[in-house]
Formats: sequence, C-alpha cells, structure tokens
Amino acid sequence: MLNSLISIGEASKQLGTSIDTLRRWDTTNRLPSIRSGPRGHRFYRQADLDLFLRNESSLAKQWAMAPVGVPPSNDVYCQTRDVFQARLERLQHALQGKVSESAVSLLSAVAGEIGNNSFDHNLGNWPDVTGIYFSLDMRNRNIVLADRGQGVLATLKRVRPELNNAMEAVKVAFTEMVSGRFPEARGNGLKFVRSVIIENPFTLKFQTGDASLLLKEYDKDLPIVHVEEYIRGCIAIIGFEGSI
Amino acid sequence: MIKSNFVIELRKFGTILVSRPSGKEAWLAFQPTLKDVSDTEEVLVDFKDVLVLTPSWADEFLTPLRDRFNGRVKLINTDNASVKATLAILDKNRPIRPSTSRD
Repeated sequence: MLNSLISIGEASKQLGTSIDTLRRWDTTNRLPSIRSGPRGHRFYRQADLDLFLRNESSLAKQWAMAPVGVPPSNDVYCQTRDVFQARLERLQHALQGKVSESAVSLLSAVAGEIGNNSFDHNLGNWPDVTGIYFSLDMRNRNIVLADRGQGVLATLKRVRPELNNAMEAVKVAFTEMVSGRFPEARGNGLKFVRSVIIENPFTLKFQTGDASLLLKEYDKDLPIVHVEEYIRGCIAIIGFEGSI
Repeated sequence: MIKSNFVIELRKFGTILVSRPSGKEAWLAFQPTLKDVSDTEEVLVDFKDVLVLTPSWADEFLTPLRDRFNGRVKLINTDNASVKATLAILDKNRPIRPSTSRD
C-alpha cells in the first residue's frame, strides 16, 4: 500500500543497508524516517523507499493506480507530446554507451511508440491527469511509461464492440491491424513493439485494466494473464537487462 | 536512358522520427517541394543519420509517398536497427520497394 508504514528492519532489507546506516541517514536527513509509537521507533513509507531507490516501475504503478490523479514529479512527467519528444531524445543520450547502438535505437523506438500511443488514444479524453509518466531506471535497466488514460479496452471497444474484457483487448492490440481511431488507417504500433521485443534481448511488461502481458525474446505466443490489481490506463515496463 | 533521382534526406526532418503528428506535419510541409518531382525521376528516400524511426511516423510520410509515386520510391541507407524494424512491419502490410543501391 502506498501509505503503509514499514519497520526499520524491513527497510534495511529492501535497501540492502544496515539499520545503523539507516539511523545515520535519518539523522543527516538523507532518508528521513517517521517516528511512531510510544518509544518513537523509526518507520518508513514504501513510496519514500521507492523514491530513494528510484524504483521507477513501482512508482509509476502507484501513480497509475492511485484513486485520485495528481501529476507525478516534474522529472518524470510529460504533460504534452512535445515534452515527451524532448525526454525521448534525452533517453537516447542516456542510453548511449550503456547498450549497443542498435539497442539504443530500438529501445527508443519502442518507448516512442508506446508513449505516443498514450497521447494518440487519449487526446481530448484524458479522464484526469493529462499526459504520461516516463522514466529511465538504469539501476534496474528498464524504461517505464504509464498513463492514467482510458485504457486499451475502452479505446478498442469503439471499433470492436464485441470485446468483452481487457485480456481480449490486449490480444487484439498486439496482434491485429486495428485502430481505436477509425477511420484513420493505422494500427502498426503495438505490433511493431511486439516484433522488436521478441527479436531482441528485451522484455515488456504491459498492463491495462486487469490484463497483464509479459513478453520476452523468442516468445511466439502472447502470455496474457488476469491480475487482481486494476489499472484504468496503461503501464509499460521495457526491460533491457539482457542487452549488451 | 539514365534516370535522374529526386533525393529526400530524412535527417532534414529530424533524427528521431517517432510520432504520428510529426510525420503528418513533415508530409504536409514537404508538399510544395514534391511538386518539383518530374515524371521520369525516381524518388530516393535517404535514411542516413536517422537514429530512431517508428511505424507511426513512417505511416504518415512513407506510406503516402509510396502511394503517390508508386513504383518509383527507393529507400537507401536503411541500416539503422529501428529503420529496419519499422520497414519490416510496414512491408508486411504495404510493401515498399527496397533499393539495392547504397550511397
């Protein structure tokens, strides 16, 4: 849970540091704790630990799932497509020298397709927060994108009213030439994403609604599963741990 | 008879070509220039220095270009990984004739 408190012992495990180090960081304000209970024990919020670790996928998921939408921090928030384009160029520079030239190009293209997809399908229809969450997590070697948009099912249902649930919608989105922006001729984006992921040492975790897809290199099928946690919009985590 | 070429250098539109609106804008902005293409010219699309290309951008520029100059569009310097992946996806649906020539 976003606001549940975590003991100093659990926090030390998550951060891989000793309890003494956490006490020192608390004193120096590097990672402030929350004092609670009659003895004033130190506790931590999970969101604070995630922020400290910059665990982007967790932060983005919490942002996407929060019942009330508020813009995320400025460094990860792309309110408009122009901001996203500029940040995509920054991502490209940040990846250079860390992965191969072709991986830089492909990862940027996949992130570009997914991020622009959010704008394409929600323009003028954002339910609350306009724009997307976009971040590079070099420590965990992944790129995180999320939106609080309408989600794939709601968008595709306009052209495929027979779709019953998010799992069916994700399957259609990743396999068929179909667009929620009829009558525009389009719909290559997520098919492109799929082909790049399965032909390279990348992974993609994609969730919309209660449907989650985990795609990796050489996958022939689309492993879509039902999950309990619900995300109205979309979250995509592009992993490149295996790439050189 | 040696055909002349009309060359479109995509790097002049940018090196990161990803969004649908920017592809559409590129296509619209280039219309006056395309009027200069003669009936005998081949249209060479040069991908040199393009760092990132996606199907969204390409769908808005390459697809109408091919429709307009059907059979006369050739693609060169397509070695970039995202360019190759994008062309492969586009070719599945609407084949664009690849060029065997290289600059």
